[in-house]
Amino acid sequence: MLQTLKTTLLKVIDLTALGFLEPYVRLAYGEEPTKQLRKIGQFTVVPVLVIIAGLLVWATMISPNVKTKSGELPSPTVVASAAGSLHQFAIREGNKEAAYVATGEEREAWLADVEAELESIGAEVESANATVVEARKAEAASKSERIAPLQAKVDALKTAMKEERAAKQAALKEQAASLPVGDNPQRAAYLGELAGLNAWLDEQKAEIDTIDDQIKLIRDEKDPAVLAALSQQTAVAEREQYLKKMAEQLGEDNRQARVATGQEKLDVAKTTFFNAEGAAAFNAAKKVISAEERLAKTEESSYAKPATLYYQIQRSILCVFAGFFLGSAIAIPIGVLCGLSTTFMGAMTPFIALFKPVSPIVWLPIALIVASALIPDPDKHWFTQWMWELPLIGQYKINPAFMASAVTVALCSLWATMVNTALGVASVDKDHLNVAKVLRLGFWSRLFKIVLPSSLPLVFAGLRISLGVGWMVLIAAELLSSSEGIGKFVWDQFNNGASDSFAKMMVVVFIVGAIGLLLDRIMVVFQRLVSFEGSIAAV
Amino acid sequence: MGFLELNHVSKGYGPPSNRYEVLKDVDLSIEENEFVAVIGFSGSGKSTLVSLLAGLEQPDAGEVRMKGNVVTDPGPDRGIMFQNYSLLPWLSVYQNIEIAVKQVFPEMGKAERKTYIQGYIDMVSLTNSEWKLPAELSGGMRQRLSLARTLSMKPEVLILDEPLSALDALTRAVLQDEIIRIWEEDKRTVVMITNDVDEAALMADRIVPLTPGPAATLERSFAVTLDRPRDRTTLNFNPDFKKLRNTVSTFMMDLNEEAKSLRVETTYRLPDLEPLDLTKVG
Repeated sequence: MLQTLKTTLLKVIDLTALGFLEPYVRLAYGEEPTKQLRKIGQFTVVPVLVIIAGLLVWATMISPNVKTKSGELPSPTVVASAAGSLHQFAIREGNKEAAYVATGEEREAWLADVEAELESIGAEVESANATVVEARKAEAASKSERIAPLQAKVDALKTAMKEERAAKQAALKEQAASLPVGDNPQRAAYLGELAGLNAWLDEQKAEIDTIDDQIKLIRDEKDPAVLAALSQQTAVAEREQYLKKMAEQLGEDNRQARVATGQEKLDVAKTTFFNAEGAAAFNAAKKVISAEERLAKTEESSYAKPATLYYQIQRSILCVFAGFFLGSAIAIPIGVLCGLSTTFMGAMTPFIALFKPVSPIVWLPIALIVASALIPDPDKHWFTQWMWELPLIGQYKINPAFMASAVTVALCSLWATMVNTALGVASVDKDHLNVAKVLRLGFWSRLFKIVLPSSLPLVFAGLRISLGVGWMVLIAAELLSSSEGIGKFVWDQFNNGASDSFAKMMVVVFIVGAIGLLLDRIMVVFQRLVSFEGSIAAV
Repeated sequence: MGFLELNHVSKGYGPPSNRYEVLKDVDLSIEENEFVAVIGFSGSGKSTLVSLLAGLEQPDAGEVRMKGNVVTDPGPDRGIMFQNYSLLPWLSVYQNIEIAVKQVFPEMGKAERKTYIQGYIDMVSLTNSEWKLPAELSGGMRQRLSLARTLSMKPEVLILDEPLSALDALTRAVLQDEIIRIWEEDKRTVVMITNDVDEAALMADRIVPLTPGPAATLERSFAVTLDRPRDRTTLNFNPDFKKLRNTVSTFMMDLNEEAKSLRVETTYRLPDLEPLDLTKVG
């Protein structure tokens, strides 16, 4: 039993190419402990140490030395806290959404909690504000203390310079008066003296400027205490705002509450109508109808939740797979035909060669124009409406921008699959084809029983490359097309320019990398599943 | 007229300007249920002969006839066992046989097919390895599977292309016995290509040596009159066996020498030069 578990575990590890886990399993079964420990050191401890070293270099050497208009390159801790705040935002938006539709006792209990919290947060806000004021004061004091001697030095230098200049100029003027006419060498020397005076003046000014610069630097310095106080203030303020919104969502803005108000209004309108006479009855009837309609809308309504990073990540993954499947659906049949027929391959080569190097930046605007032309108004078009009604993917609101991004992904990623499929089909082992001949397999049997199984490892190697390329292309495509997703998140942060935008973009670097890694692992598993002994693409 | 015939068959490769004649004017007539061993040196065109017999390739001149009909394409009536097994590596033992059986006997019912396939798996002693992939089998097991697949097509002629040359001596002996046992159980025409005189003498009814290429041909044949079943342990002391082996070996060696003598040796005359003795200069 335990032994089979071990074999299964080792097989899974081998299949997923997570070789670094193998020594742990073997160690757990007490197999050659020294050897396993050495392997753990080699494949776990060393990489972890390298990661730690990388983080240290980033924190201590890179990030303080890269200064930009948007501030310092965020350090690992800043990036981590930005990730935390993104997560918190998602959680809070989720809560608001839930709060809007909360009903009954649950809603009341929740509202009580939120109100209690709101009361207690007042003190926090005040103390945070006070801390900021104090920190600012302290900063100003310490800065002026540091600036004062420098400023005094500058002033002294300036006065000295002025006095000396006046003296020297007076001397030179005197000298000019006594210059004999016709003594050119003496006049040349005089010119030299005057130039010397100017050079001296420049030197003095430069010295003053240097000190001025130092003063400016001190003024521009951001005091860590102030920064910490400010971020604390922001956090508390955001929390307060969140709680207020929650109170509204659970209180007067809650759906149940709005439905009740709507019902009341409807009742009033109805009473008016029932009692109305003559021409007034018509207007009263109109009011009843519109109140009914409004009530129906309110009953259906939901909180207009802004896109959270998690939603954007999900939408990006959906988009990359949409593009990837679209691309594969084009690439595999064409690749198979190319592999089967050299004539077809010859016919396709110019197209492949021409379109393969085209950048996503070129495809996207074209795809966007076409998609927008096909679906001018996604709110009314039957296709988008149908997509929005679908379970699971309906919530991602597939629109022309999404389609254009997916098509761009497809157009950029299908080449690897196409070329690999063609190669795989063209290079089926001659022995296997002989088997097909001896068995007199028909075209389709030969294709599905011999040619395709034999080329699958290469096809999947191509698919793996395609998915990787597609994921890279997608982020750029979303950025350009403003399709809600990770790319758009980055672009929004870039344009937003808040104090933590830079850090949030850095968070995305890791998220994109991690998802890319995960997608690649998934493809590795598939590739290994279809590989066989002696297949070319065995990884 | 033989069951399987080669009439003045020639085959060559390459463009007319630089043509390499592999086989030239090959004549061979095989009777029904005869076991013929074609023996030849490596590179003498044995595999080309197999391809022609199987119909995978067409002769440039002459014709291959089976039961009087000219062979134009490969088919399951001539079961061929390829030199390098040619198993489909993504299919299991069972599936490798199944693909052949399904194709050759499409009318066979599901249950019947299952017992039929199992029968062949048992015949070549691969029982309990049904769901293993070829990669998980040893060389001998793969060759047995290849044999089972070929036999499952119930071919009228069995063409074995150096079936055992990639195996070690012990596995080879076991498989030789197995092939003979299966052949004796279920007689049919066999053409076996080999490079081993002992193997040919042990298994075949007739040994046909192929002269060394280029333009190889079949010159004469040696009938093997030893009684069956032949026992490899006592055969070595059988005077007839020894004599046959010596005759064939000598014939082959002579062929080889003949081929060597036919080869045009170019000798270069080197100028008669002596190095200068520099110590004596000056």
